[in-house]
Amino acid sequence: MRPIGIMVIINALLFGLLFLLVEPLDPSILMAGGILTLLIIISYIIIVKGNMGDQYLFLIISMLSSLGVVMIYRLDPVFGFRQITWYALGVSLYFVSYIIFLWVKNWDRYLYLYIGFGMLLFLLTFALGTTVKGATNWIRVGGFTFQPAEIIKLSFVFFVAAYFTFPEKLKNIYFFLGVVYLHIIFLVFQRDMGMAMLFYGIFISIFYVYYQDYKLFLYNLGASILIVVFGYYTMTHVQVRFEAWLNPWRDIAGRGYQITQSLFAIGTGGFFGTGLGMGSPDFIPEVHTDFIFSAICEEMGVFGGMAVVLLYFILMYRGFKITLTIQNTFRKILALGIILTYSYQTFMIIGGVIKLIPLTGITLPFISYGGSALVSAFIAFGIMQALSKRSQEVEELLDLGEQ
Amino acid sequence: MFPILSWTIRYIFIGLIYYFIYHIIRLIYLDIKHINERQNKQFDSPYLKLVNRKETLDFEIQEFYDLKDVVTLGRSKENDIQILDKFMSSSHAKITMDEDEYFLEDLESVNGTYLNSTQIEDVVKLKSGDRIGLGQVEFLFVKEVD
Repeated sequence: MRPIGIMVIINALLFGLLFLLVEPLDPSILMAGGILTLLIIISYIIIVKGNMGDQYLFLIISMLSSLGVVMIYRLDPVFGFRQITWYALGVSLYFVSYIIFLWVKNWDRYLYLYIGFGMLLFLLTFALGTTVKGATNWIRVGGFTFQPAEIIKLSFVFFVAAYFTFPEKLKNIYFFLGVVYLHIIFLVFQRDMGMAMLFYGIFISIFYVYYQDYKLFLYNLGASILIVVFGYYTMTHVQVRFEAWLNPWRDIAGRGYQITQSLFAIGTGGFFGTGLGMGSPDFIPEVHTDFIFSAICEEMGVFGGMAVVLLYFILMYRGFKITLTIQNTFRKILALGIILTYSYQTFMIIGGVIKLIPLTGITLPFISYGGSALVSAFIAFGIMQALSKRSQEVEELLDLGEQ
Repeated sequence: MFPILSWTIRYIFIGLIYYFIYHIIRLIYLDIKHINERQNKQFDSPYLKLVNRKETLDFEIQEFYDLKDVVTLGRSKENDIQILDKFMSSSHAKITMDEDEYFLEDLESVNGTYLNSTQIEDVVKLKSGDRIGLGQVEFLFVKEVD
């Protein structure tokens, strides 16, 4: 059987179960599941028939997002239906970003545009931002709130890629470092530590790969350690997070509540989980966004959680494979940047909820509830799809012996 | 009722999702194998490259065939390149080298040999990028120029 068929069966099973779980029986759940599955099948057929490059990327992404939708639906049907709407928007933007990326030719020329775009959004966040859960990183437009940092993530990757393609555009490397740290400082001021760490991770990895002077790399690494130590002693919310990581059991009712509940949930699940709808992941605060992985572990077991991690593994593997086949420097860095963004993000949040590293509020790509995160992830992987198409074309040219 | 259903489905689900992952990994493995095959191929001599997608043909065929001084193509065992296509004659066509030039010749096959979609009558000279059609199969003739 083809993978797409397996996915349809999984979706049918899980949505069927959800339908029986919610009392009174609500046919709209079956409808929602049907719409989701149909969207996946149609998009997959378009990608295969339209010869749009790598076909595994979309398969893995849709497997992850259907798991996410099922889990969110089980936690709260209202959020679940909204997530499907976001999913539909995300898939259409996936194709739009694919087309636009191939249509515009000189992505590597707009260095200043990327810097300007990022800075403008940051300033807008300060001017119009609303504070949600202790971090001032949301803009409210009409009835919607969105997180500008999710979009800036992309423009940041474009900026780094454009700089390393034509380093002579900025006066010297220190200007580049200045702009990078400006991004990170803005995020720190927004009290969004997870995002700041993520930006730093992307920057330092690409810097390591593409900059020859290792001394400067080491200075940057040293500076980052100093900043972390400084941040720990000056900012109380960093301290709280750090203590909740080191010993959450000391203050179970307060600071450590979230992380201990998450550990209890994972523990309750065991190897095969309690079964969908049989556990009680609702005890964890924010379970539908940051802590969705614990809910999956509780109800689908450690094996289910491992399957999710494995899915991320093969997604990242595909990303690196695409990166390796690209010849053009700009596109190569872009592909590397995108795949690094999502692999770090996955590591940070899964590591956070299983108490491997201090918890930082960041979403699990494609699974967590959240419109801007899901949409920006789809845009990023739409670009990845376009990049994979380009790299396949290069391979074919090599086949013909024309290069 | 619901708990029993939920318990059974969790096992089915875990089985299925690992089957899904296994499938994707297998596809990726085949992909890598394909790349390795291409890398192992030596590009110094002229060769034939299959234009058809390998999956669409229901008989055994390779992606690449190296060309020697004389190469015959056909369905029978005596040929240098044996292709079990039912639209091919037992000895279908011949490619010969003469003073670094390659020539294609039809061996009076039933369904004919095509060069760039036109049926050939006589011996024709091949240049790099020519498409050779025999039966259901189409090859690309590739000759590297230094």
